Amino acid sequence: MTADSHALTTAEHTPIAGLAHDARGGISNPILGMLLFLTSEVMFFAGLFAAYFNTRAANKPWPPTEFEHILNPFSLILVATVILVASSFTCQMAIWAIRRNDRRGFIRNIGVTFVLGVIFLLMQVYDYSLLFDEGMTLGSGQFGTTYYTLTGFHGAHVFGGVIMLGVVLYRGMSGQFSARHHDAVEAASLYWHFVDIVWILLFSILYFL
Amino acid sequence: MATHALNPAASTYARGGLYEWLATTDHKKIGIMYVVNSMLFFLVGGVLALVVRTELATPGIQFLADERVYNEMFTMHATLMIFVFIIPMLAGLGNYAVPLQIGAPDMAFPRINALSFWMLPLAGILLISSFFTGGAAAAGWTSYPPLSGEGPLNSPGSGQDLWIVSLILIGTSSILGAINFLVTIFKMRAPGMTLFRMPIMVWTILVTSVLVLMATPVITSALVMLFIDRNLGGHFFDPFAGGSAVLYQNIFWFYSHPAVYVMVLPAMGVISEVLPVFSRKPLFGYRAFVFATAGIGALGFSVWAHHMFTTGAVFLPFFALLTFMIAIPTGVKMFNWVFTLFRGQLTFSTPLIFALGFLTMFLIGGINGAFSAAVPVDFALHDTYWVVAHLHYVLFGGSVFGVFAGIYYWFPKMTGRMLDEGLGKIQFVLMFVGFNLTFFPMHMLGLAGMPRRIADYAGDAGWNEWNIAATVGGFMIAASMLPFLWNVFISLRNGKVAGDDPWEGNTLEWATSSPPPPYNFDSLPEIRSERPLFDARHGQTAH
Amino acid sequence: MSSTPRKRPASDALVAGAVVAILVALVVAVFLTGAGNSLYPPAAATTQGRDIRGLYDIVFALAIGIFLLVEGLIVWSVIRYRRRPGDIELPAQTHGNNVAEIVWTVVPTAIVLFLFVISWQSLSRVDAISAKPDIRIHAIAGQFQWQFEYLDANGTKVATQLAPAYDTNTGAGGMAVPVGRSVQVTLDSPDVIHAFYVPRFLFKRDVVPGQTNRFEFTVEPSEAGQVFRGQCAELCGIGHRAMLLSVIALTPADYDAWLQGLIEKSNATPEPLPSGTVLNVTAEGVKFDTAALEVPAPPGITHDVDIRDGGGAVLAAKDTIDGGTSTNYSYEPMQAGTYTFFCSIHSNMTGTLTVK
Repeated sequence: MTADSHALTTAEHTPIAGLAHDARGGISNPILGMLLFLTSEVMFFAGLFAAYFNTRAANKPWPPTEFEHILNPFSLILVATVILVASSFTCQMAIWAIRRNDRRGFIRNIGVTFVLGVIFLLMQVYDYSLLFDEGMTLGSGQFGTTYYTLTGFHGAHVFGGVIMLGVVLYRGMSGQFSARHHDAVEAASLYWHFVDIVWILLFSILYFL
Repeated sequence: MATHALNPAASTYARGGLYEWLATTDHKKIGIMYVVNSMLFFLVGGVLALVVRTELATPGIQFLADERVYNEMFTMHATLMIFVFIIPMLAGLGNYAVPLQIGAPDMAFPRINALSFWMLPLAGILLISSFFTGGAAAAGWTSYPPLSGEGPLNSPGSGQDLWIVSLILIGTSSILGAINFLVTIFKMRAPGMTLFRMPIMVWTILVTSVLVLMATPVITSALVMLFIDRNLGGHFFDPFAGGSAVLYQNIFWFYSHPAVYVMVLPAMGVISEVLPVFSRKPLFGYRAFVFATAGIGALGFSVWAHHMFTTGAVFLPFFALLTFMIAIPTGVKMFNWVFTLFRGQLTFSTPLIFALGFLTMFLIGGINGAFSAAVPVDFALHDTYWVVAHLHYVLFGGSVFGVFAGIYYWFPKMTGRMLDEGLGKIQFVLMFVGFNLTFFPMHMLGLAGMPRRIADYAGDAGWNEWNIAATVGGFMIAASMLPFLWNVFISLRNGKVAGDDPWEGNTLEWATSSPPPPYNFDSLPEIRSERPLFDARHGQTAH
Repeated sequence: MSSTPRKRPASDALVAGAVVAILVALVVAVFLTGAGNSLYPPAAATTQGRDIRGLYDIVFALAIGIFLLVEGLIVWSVIRYRRRPGDIELPAQTHGNNVAEIVWTVVPTAIVLFLFVISWQSLSRVDAISAKPDIRIHAIAGQFQWQFEYLDANGTKVATQLAPAYDTNTGAGGMAVPVGRSVQVTLDSPDVIHAFYVPRFLFKRDVVPGQTNRFEFTVEPSEAGQVFRGQCAELCGIGHRAMLLSVIALTPADYDAWLQGLIEKSNATPEPLPSGTVLNVTAEGVKFDTAALEVPAPPGITHDVDIRDGGGAVLAAKDTIDGGTSTNYSYEPMQAGTYTFFCSIHSNMTGTLTVK
């Protein structure tokens, strides 16, 4: 037995490791890991949403009259929503592309997704600056607190997703993915779809409900 | 089957340099580091407990500068014990045992595994550092707002913020660990290891991981909101600006009740390994045990408000009923354990003795919990020393005894050497007597009306004798650590060489060398039941 | 490999049986000699408390029975089934028993359902709130003192008890209630969560800011003349353990006299302040109310008035006073400038002092 260089390699590539693997196939480890991670993310947002609904039920009128006008869904925020939803489609097109080994299409679509994500973030920053100008801050009553916390944490997740997409884009441009080997892309896209779904929920609940 | 029967001293594994430990992604080394790290914080948390017990020994403020320091002591004691000792300790035992027990070469994500571990000492140091930055958190481990909010009388200063950040770090570590466990257990079992052939330890880690995955993010959200309230001007929990103080409690306990099972289920897993091995019988009612474990996990999500019966803000009958129902699967487990012993052939090695300690203490901890499920009785007992007795019977009498059973059980596998049986028994006696001397009188204190978390009490309240008893017991528990530490120290050097399978174990970790090589196995026995090694030793007909 | 039934010496069973019997006898002895009394709550002073005590006794009896059963089984197995040097053959490899599993699922289920039903019934009595209680008291728990407002039938305040704990020397202080009458307490907090806890009531209820909790109790007539200790049971900060209170049980006649005395004391005009340059500072709740100089300081919270200069250094630190009382602080002459005055207990209570 030698313990020379094994400590720093991962188990998957050694012949000994192959012995004990469950060989029944199915979903790959990174994708299962990402799905489980998203489960925990769902619970995190569930906590925030629970706080939001609790707060909202206890504070009438909601939204407070001074901030009522900011909840106009047919504004910049609708454009941002369309952009984010569109990015989910381009992301999925990137997945379909890499699944049929179309690397150019993959890179093109993932690039577009990345750019759309950045645009969404910039729009959110712009939106925040408008709100700040109107004097709405985290401290502006329950409304300010919940609005900024919910949208802020979503924004942070978009930011994380954009970084993931950036890494995937970079790795894709250096030719790392193929139809057989692209778990990282699938995982990043799952995350991106999740972020998108959270936004649709958030947008509907904050602006329409 | 044992092709690695090396003298442990000759094993390069046991002699890995410091760098190899710092950089390792080997689940066994990470598991051992989890155990060692947790044990260090156990000692720190224990010292804080001694400070608390010394202050409470007799009426009057004895030696603490003021009550804020006292509040810091019990807050940090609980925080360290729960978040940097018990949860990581059990995760560490799981980290060591699970891949071995399912015949896997490592965890599914070895580098994430290392990341999960290294967050823990960081978080622990952050927590302790708050003592030197103007005072640690002092609002109790529950940190209810408004007390945990800003304000000179509440929680001024950075201690509470460091507490929040540490807990978020530990939570992230737990979530990553849970994902790792789940993927490992679902995807990396050896051929033949169906779900219902998995060792109970693996089942309990599986259920625990689901609990962590679903509950920990929720407390992260509560902590984040608390942080926003404290530092960014938010009002989530500010009752004077439309927020709700009870909202925090709901979110907090939605995590922290399942967290109780996170703290005790893997310990149940440990003793469910130990009892069959030292009784030479299979676990009685394996399937019932698995379903009971899953049932406890599921019920764990719907009983959180039984910590809030006196708030006047919860629907009492619903939570009382579900809380009572927890007793059913717990009772099933208790009987399964007892009937594993029944008509067995018991060998009183140290792991079994600690497991028997677990059975007795957990029995009391389960029964005295039922008192608080009866809501009107809880009106009398809530926030008194009765609750302190109850939680220590579950988390110390249960989990910590389970942890020591696990350490004595797997130490030979981890190091290749046996721990000394004599010292182990001395440790057990000191710990068992000290534990009961400390915590049994707390039942009486609670009944006599002594609330938790008070730095002082009137000399004529009738609480003096029991407090002295509890303090003496506390020091006995502390003394019980000396034979343990000495035992580890001498056994690492001169302990009896263990061989592959010193206990006649049932599960796969005993099929490889002690300590196991990197990637664990060269070959595996056939897996036809939950006791593959028993089958290999005695043949299938023994069933 | 076959598993033959084990042949054990009968003495093993005898020893194990004897140990289990001794265990049971010990527990019985503990209760017969009265040493077990400390495992019961103190005698309940209220009707509701007696109800809770009745429930406790049932739960306790079941608990002892279950403990003896399971612990007896453990002890029996541990002694009876030690491995002997001759035990080479395996014991019977019992994997389970469906009948046993069903029994120990069904029986505990029945027990917990029974407990749930009786505790629900008890709860509905203990938690009952009547529309027209005999006595209404509004208890305010602030860091770190209680204060009891006595209300009339319309909920109007008639008197305030600012000294929450009974002083055995002076006979002052405490929350007096008449025995045999229903007392409804409403609970409010101006700061953090507290809990109203009187051990001999076998009861506590949280005092949650932003939410008014209420509960009701009737002290047993036999308890007239007793003083019950109580204290805050929910960690509320550095003064938590000092948040004591007393409930004094009086006969209805004594209570009426007591309340009349409190009303007179509450209505008494405060002593006139000494002449001179006097700045009146009033502590209102946990704020200084500098705009309302004429208002007497009411609430039962400890305060003082200290002074800090523009740089934050504390120039004057005064002794604290209890809420409801007033005192005169005199300060050394100060240089012209702007100062902050504040309460050292509640640092969010501040004001600006300009010296010209």
